[in-house]
Amino acid sequence: MHPARPVPHKAMKILLPDKCRRDAGPGPVTVEALLSELGFDPIEVIVSRNGMLVTEDAVVGNDDEIRIIRIAHGG
Amino acid sequence: MVHTAGHGITPRCDTCGEPAVYRERTTGRHFCKNHFIADVEGRVLETIRSRNLIAPGDHVAVALSGGKDSTALLVILSKVLPGVGPVRLTAITIDEGIAGYREDTVRSADTLVARYALPHLTVSFPDLFGGTLDAFLAGREPEACSVCGILRRKALNVAAERAGATKLATGHNLDDEAQSVFMNVLRGDLPRLVRDSGSDSQGRFIPRIKPLMFVSEKEIAVYLMLHGMWADLPECPYAVHALRGEVRRMLATLESRHPGTMLNLMKSKAKIEAQCGGLLEDEAVHRCRECGDPCSGEICQLCTLKKTLR
Repeated sequence: MHPARPVPHKAMKILLPDKCRRDAGPGPVTVEALLSELGFDPIEVIVSRNGMLVTEDAVVGNDDEIRIIRIAHGG
Repeated sequence: MVHTAGHGITPRCDTCGEPAVYRERTTGRHFCKNHFIADVEGRVLETIRSRNLIAPGDHVAVALSGGKDSTALLVILSKVLPGVGPVRLTAITIDEGIAGYREDTVRSADTLVARYALPHLTVSFPDLFGGTLDAFLAGREPEACSVCGILRRKALNVAAERAGATKLATGHNLDDEAQSVFMNVLRGDLPRLVRDSGSDSQGRFIPRIKPLMFVSEKEIAVYLMLHGMWADLPECPYAVHALRGEVRRMLATLESRHPGTMLNLMKSKAKIEAQCGGLLEDEAVHRCRECGDPCSGEICQLCTLKKTLR
């Protein structure tokens, strides 16, 4: 009988406002901390996880797909 | 309240326990989609009622650029105005002639008014002033916002008059208003600082109203996203030249570190307005010697500006 192998954590996939994609560590991490790490002010962006809007204190990680949308000024 | 799913933790709505889509930073309160939408619309209705911005029988011209703020304004007014009484809406769009920017938002405005089956009136700078904003600003880009502001104000008044409107609603939000308070302090412009934020026509033109003045820019973005109406539109290319841009960045940082900063600026303004607003409203109203529009001097800002336009 083989010992159970730990399931490796997957990186989060981040879609940035300029449409570039990048991977981030597996987390878990709060949205606010992730934004800070990426250099975004939470006032100026909104964030979705797997297509659903999430709050800054939501915790994301593993293979979540995170989209960061910059709020255009004016209009 | 939180909910865990795999690695993720989703905070829950403080009212109903559904997944939260928005967290109000000052109070820490969480809102689900339905309670967030109800909160925003309720706040706009409260602003309209408490400031008597719109009355039954009014015909409201909604300044619709097609950008996020004016789109949200039109959507929210369409939903909340039945609670005020019989009110007509007409969308008015100003095409300043800003290449690579205004085309997209005008298309977005056209789509929106078709969806809501509203009357729509468009006025362009070339029609009114004989040229595009791009042409007027060649070589004087740093003045973009003040030049555009004067021309746009006139264009909005003309469009609202042509529509036969009794009120002119603009999509200025909490961030815009807080920035204006701060900018007026920086400029030492006390008369403008104490001017009523909700309606700044001073009885000279069709009254201008700002029903979104207590809704933040981020709340507007979330509101549109939840309605599937978010469009990734470009920003005005001239915005980089404005003092407002610097003030916006500064206030965003302060709001992020000290939630409630923008609302506190509005409260400060309201207190100053209550204390000394009446003392400064005796400025005599003249008629412009050249065009006859109401103004504070002998010649209005528009006629003064027109002399410098190429």
